[in-house]
Amino acid sequence: MARITLERLGHAYNRSDGTPNYALYPLDLVWEDGGTYALLGPSGCGKSTMLNIVSGLLTPSEGRVLINGRDVTGTRVAQRNIAQVFQFPVVYASKSVYENLAFPLRCRNMANREVDRRVNEIAELLNLDTILHRPARKLTPDAKQLISLGRGLVRDDVAVILMDEPLTVIDPQLKFHLRRKLKDISARHGHTLVYVTHDQNEAMTLAENVIVMDNGRVAQVGTPQELFENPTHAHVGYFIGSPSMNFLPVSLYNGKLSIAGQVVAFGTVEVPEGGNLLLGIRPEFVDILPDAPPNALKAKLSEVQDLGTYQIVTGQLADGQCVKIKTKSFKGIPGDEFAFRLVQDRIRMFCDGKQVKALLT
Amino acid sequence: MYGLTRYKLFFLLPGLLVLLAIILFPLIFTIRVSFSGWDAVRPGLDWIGGVNYGRLLADGRFWQSLSRLGLMAVSAVAIEYVLGFGLALLVWRQIRFRRLVRVLFLIPMMTTPVVMAVIWRTVFHESLGPANDLVTLFGFAPIPWLTNAQWATFVVILVDVWQWTPFMFLLLLAGLLSLPREPLLAAAIDGAGPIRAFWNVTFPAMAPISVGAIIIRLIEASKIMETVYVITSGGPGTSTETSSYYIFIRGLRDFQIGYAAALSITYLVIMIVLLTIIAKLLTKTLIKAEA
Repeated sequence: MARITLERLGHAYNRSDGTPNYALYPLDLVWEDGGTYALLGPSGCGKSTMLNIVSGLLTPSEGRVLINGRDVTGTRVAQRNIAQVFQFPVVYASKSVYENLAFPLRCRNMANREVDRRVNEIAELLNLDTILHRPARKLTPDAKQLISLGRGLVRDDVAVILMDEPLTVIDPQLKFHLRRKLKDISARHGHTLVYVTHDQNEAMTLAENVIVMDNGRVAQVGTPQELFENPTHAHVGYFIGSPSMNFLPVSLYNGKLSIAGQVVAFGTVEVPEGGNLLLGIRPEFVDILPDAPPNALKAKLSEVQDLGTYQIVTGQLADGQCVKIKTKSFKGIPGDEFAFRLVQDRIRMFCDGKQVKALLT
Repeated sequence: MYGLTRYKLFFLLPGLLVLLAIILFPLIFTIRVSFSGWDAVRPGLDWIGGVNYGRLLADGRFWQSLSRLGLMAVSAVAIEYVLGFGLALLVWRQIRFRRLVRVLFLIPMMTTPVVMAVIWRTVFHESLGPANDLVTLFGFAPIPWLTNAQWATFVVILVDVWQWTPFMFLLLLAGLLSLPREPLLAAAIDGAGPIRAFWNVTFPAMAPISVGAIIIRLIEASKIMETVYVITSGGPGTSTETSSYYIFIRGLRDFQIGYAAALSITYLVIMIVLLTIIAKLLTKTLIKAEA
C-alpha cells in the first residue's frame, strides 16, 4: 500500500520542428494511500499515458513519480511493485489458471508452499478456485480478466493497482458484478486503486475521487458529487451527467442576468473583460412550472424522451438555444409553449470554459 | 443440378489436367518404372516385379545415406532455428536498423546454391582456402576440411546453416512482430526479467510459428543435394552421401533407372511418414496448450 505523488509529471513527443507535442501536460497529483481513484475522460485524453508512466511502461519526458516519497521515475517496472490490469484480458496462454496466479510469486522465487497458500487464497477470493487447473486460455473474457486482477492481488507488496479500462470487453451483466467485486476487494485489502475509464457511471460508482481529464490536462479532481454539482470546467459539465449540463449564452447588464431576453437572476459575476459568459445548469435543476407566471422563462417544446423512470424534455428558447430538463412526468405536444425556472442556487457561471465566481439572488 | 455440375467440371478441367500432368503422371510413372529393370543395357519398361525393392532392402549404402541425411538435416535445422530465433530476438527491438539487417540477412538466401557451394569449396580448400590460412594463423595444424568424414559433414551442415538461417530468421521475426504487446508488459509488471519473460511468454506464443518454420526447413533440408555434389561429391568415400545424392548416382551416373525409381519411391514414403511423425511430435511438445 502506498501514496503516489506525481510531481510536474508530463509527457511530450517531439514534433518535426522540435516543439513538444504534449500527450500529457505537466501536472501535480497525489493518490493517497488506500484511496480509490478514477481517471475519467474521452479516448486520447492522456489517461493511459499517465497510467503507463506510473507503472513504468513509459518514461515521462518531464517530472517525477514518487511512491511513498521514493523517486521511482527511472526504476524498472518490476521494482515498482505495481499491479496493472489491461483493457484486454492478459493471461499466459500456455499456463493453467493456477500457474498464471502463481507467476508473480515464482518471479520472486517464493517457496512452493507459500505460493500454494497465496494462490488458493486469491482464487477463493475471486471465485476461481473451481477452475484452478484448467488452461487459462480456454476461459471466458471475464474469468481471464479476474486472473489478470488476481496476478496483481496475489503479491502482498503491491503499492498500487492500476486498471486500464478493465471492463471494456466484459458483457454488461457481469460488468456490474465485477465492479462490485473490485470495490469489495479494494475496500477489504486497503489497496490504492487507480481506475481508468471513459464511462462516467463506472467512475462514479467505483471511485471515491474522480480525476476528469481533457486533452492531456486534468480538468478537475473531486468526489462524484462535487463533479456533478460543482464542475469547475465546462468540459466536466459536459462529460459528467446524463444528459450533460445545459450551457446557455447569457448577458449581464446592471446586475441582471438574461437568457434570450428574459431575466433569470440578479447578482454579480466576476467576469474578465471580453470573456464569453455562459450559464450552466444541470437538467435535474430545471423545474417545469404547471402554470405560467408573467415573468417566468418560456420555451417551445421540441421533444419529450421517455426513458422509463424519467423523461428528458427539450425546449427551444426564443433565441433558438435548446434547454434540456430532466423531469418525472410531463405531457405536451411539440410546438406548445411551457414555462420553467432555474433553481437559483444550482446555477453556475462559466467564462471561457472555466467556472467564475457569481453571487446570485 | 446436373448441368451445373458439368459446368463446374468444365472450369475445373484445366487445373485438373495440369495437376495430372505435373504431379500424378510423374509419380505413377516412377512407380511403374520401379518395377522394371530399366538400365543402360536393357532400356524399356519391362516387368521384373519387386526385384528392385528386394535389392534396396539389402543395400547398406542407401540406408546409411538415409541416416546420414537424418543427422545432417536435423542438426542443420536445429542450429538454424536457434540462430534464427536469436537473431530475430536481437533485431525485434532494434527498430532503427531492422530494415538494413533484414536485407543483409537475406543475401545468403537469394544466392544460387551451386555458386555459393563453389565459393565455400574454395574457402575450405585444404591448401589454398582461407579457412586453413586462418587456422594456421592461430598456430593450429591445417584441418582436413573436405577429406575427413567428420569435418566434411561439418562443412556441409555449415553451408546449409549459412544459407538457410536467414529464412528461419525471417519467419521467426515475422512471428515476433505479430505477437501482442500486452502479455509482455504484464510479465514485466509481474516481475519477470527478460529470460523468464522469454520462456514463459514469448517462446510459448511463438510455438505454432516455430513448428511451421521447422517443418518447412526439414522438408527442404531433407533434399540436400547441390552442396554435397559441389563441395564433397559425397566424399571422402561415401561419408557425406545423402539419399538424394545416392539416388542421383544410381539413376543418372550408373543409369540404373528402374532401381533409382524404387529408391525414390521408398525415400518418398519414408520421408512422408517421418515428417508426419515429427510434425505431430513437435506440435504435441511445443504447442501443448492447444490440446
